[in-house]
Amino acid sequence: MKFVRVDMTEQNVKVEDVPQQYVGLGGRGLTSIMINNEVPPKCDPLGPENKLIFAPGTLSGTSLVNTSRISIGAKSPLTSTIKESNAGGTVGAALGKLGITAIILEGQAAKGKLFNLIIDQNGEAGLETADAYQGMRTYALVEKLLSTYGKKNGVLCIGPAGEYQLGSASVQTSDVDGRPCRAAGRGGLGAVMGAKGLKAIVISQQGKSPDAIADVDTFKEAAKVFAKAVKDNPFTGQMLGALGTAGLVSAVNSLGAFPSYNATNGVFDGWEKISGEAMAQIIQNRGGKTTHLGCSQCIIHCSNEYVDKDGKYMTSSLEYETLWSMGGMPGIDDLDVIARLDFLADDIGLDTINTGVAIGVAMDAGYKKFGDGQAAVEMMEEIAKGTEIGKVIGNGPEAVGRHFNHHRVPAAKGQSIAAYDPRAMQGNGVTYATSPMGADHTAGNLVGQYLGGALNPLEAEGQVEASRNAQIAMAALDCTGLCLLAGVALADAAATEALLKMMNAKLGTEFGPDDYPALGIRVLKAEREFNRKAGFTNKDDRLAKFFYEEPLPPHNKVFIVSDADLDTTFDF
Amino acid sequence: MKIRVKLFGTLPQRYSDYNPEHGLEVEIANGAKVKDLLAHLELSASDSGIVAVNNLVVKANETLKDGVAVSIFQRAFGG
Repeated sequence: MKFVRVDMTEQNVKVEDVPQQYVGLGGRGLTSIMINNEVPPKCDPLGPENKLIFAPGTLSGTSLVNTSRISIGAKSPLTSTIKESNAGGTVGAALGKLGITAIILEGQAAKGKLFNLIIDQNGEAGLETADAYQGMRTYALVEKLLSTYGKKNGVLCIGPAGEYQLGSASVQTSDVDGRPCRAAGRGGLGAVMGAKGLKAIVISQQGKSPDAIADVDTFKEAAKVFAKAVKDNPFTGQMLGALGTAGLVSAVNSLGAFPSYNATNGVFDGWEKISGEAMAQIIQNRGGKTTHLGCSQCIIHCSNEYVDKDGKYMTSSLEYETLWSMGGMPGIDDLDVIARLDFLADDIGLDTINTGVAIGVAMDAGYKKFGDGQAAVEMMEEIAKGTEIGKVIGNGPEAVGRHFNHHRVPAAKGQSIAAYDPRAMQGNGVTYATSPMGADHTAGNLVGQYLGGALNPLEAEGQVEASRNAQIAMAALDCTGLCLLAGVALADAAATEALLKMMNAKLGTEFGPDDYPALGIRVLKAEREFNRKAGFTNKDDRLAKFFYEEPLPPHNKVFIVSDADLDTTFDF
Repeated sequence: MKIRVKLFGTLPQRYSDYNPEHGLEVEIANGAKVKDLLAHLELSASDSGIVAVNNLVVKANETLKDGVAVSIFQRAFGG
């Protein structure tokens, strides 16, 4: 249990024991509670007072499957709220195996100075100058870093967007093949990393000093039960391996909830060309990989390798949200163009969601025509070059809306919605409006309940309660390091019991069934408290006005959950 | 009556002659319910076949109309 505290102002690195107040916390729980304690809520997110915290989950680095998520937290330059964005890949497990509970970046390097943080297999950490890497895109950067430090390392890094400190800048992480195709995309945390003067963190995957497990035998047994539940669930055991999250394209279009042409229609005309089924067929015909191991210790394999007509690599882990943001929103129905846009987002270091929506808003405002794939590619290159229009687009949909004086900006607290329209999935609208993170589907997504017929997506009734429960469950899950897709297995009571057993066996605690949601509530309360201190009120827990005024075909509904009901979301 | 069925997820793999563009045309008794259609297609509960008509999920006991187009997909969760 170690903290690596990095003072970027003095370029000083200290490894210290985890202070008592943070013992037992991991992932989002640690980043959010620590930021609430240590970051001045009204600080400049891109200034020296902000902290950027990288925390694997409490179960990362153990033998449990699907636990290589890393939470990255800070005050967000995009939303000005507290922010946690998590990513898969290799670094979560790598930090866990080194017994590193968190890396905490503080202060700020002198303007124009850039560093890399290198953590070796013994957990020794040091800063090295990265001036030679200035401006590099992430694929070239990671290739160079892995050839310098060895392939058995994982990398967290930023691209040009992070160096420009843009609102949509991501932190990219490397997958098991050493490609930076995994992203902590949301909230512009790459801009915070760029502002601190850090280009990359290189982390050895050969650590052999994970935290001791209090009860090894119980842990092993429970880990087997959990893995079996993941394998036995038809979604995690079969569908995700076959189609990845892209399988949602057909389902969400079939429910009229796929925001298209900048959220002016709930069904995308060309959705059958960009569906998971169509993508799998194309990949198969061209000799790519429809299923692919992306993250350490994953048994789901939801990733893929998309290749061009000649079988040459184009991108990896092309997922549902990106098929929507780079497809449905700008009206692009050509998978090759979407794959190119996905690659460029990873390479430049951009959130595919916020960036695709920004492009969609620009098209809606008349800057380019919907469906113009070449124009979308050019906009991405403008961002990479740092031109004036590139910076507007790279700062996200609200910046684009302001620039073109265009009212239809599908966002909450400055961050774009994800691939579920709040007018056709009202509960996801509740999550977008009230999440302390701004619009974020991973904060509490109800699509599974709608598809299962458990909740009518078009009525107001029941949405707040469903969103509240989902937000609590996600806040707790995000502490563990478990992938949210593996978390679907928690529908099986045996898996839930196994998770509790593992948490207790790892930490030597006696968590009961009520303590797990209590953890989620504790995290949400810390996040809400930070936002209150930063100046946010209930009035900020609202969607963009057009969602209340412009009906979405084919259901022709607006967002109907009342403000009074929204304000009860966190009544706990 | 005739019903046009489109299958998604891994469900199309069950039918060797399935054409994704046209889907299946199913002949079924008048007044058939959603559950009758699933039984006809040999889709069990564990296949999590979810049926949508006119952009809405329909429940097992709902009656289908002649000529309707239905989509059947699998239970999925957000990613």
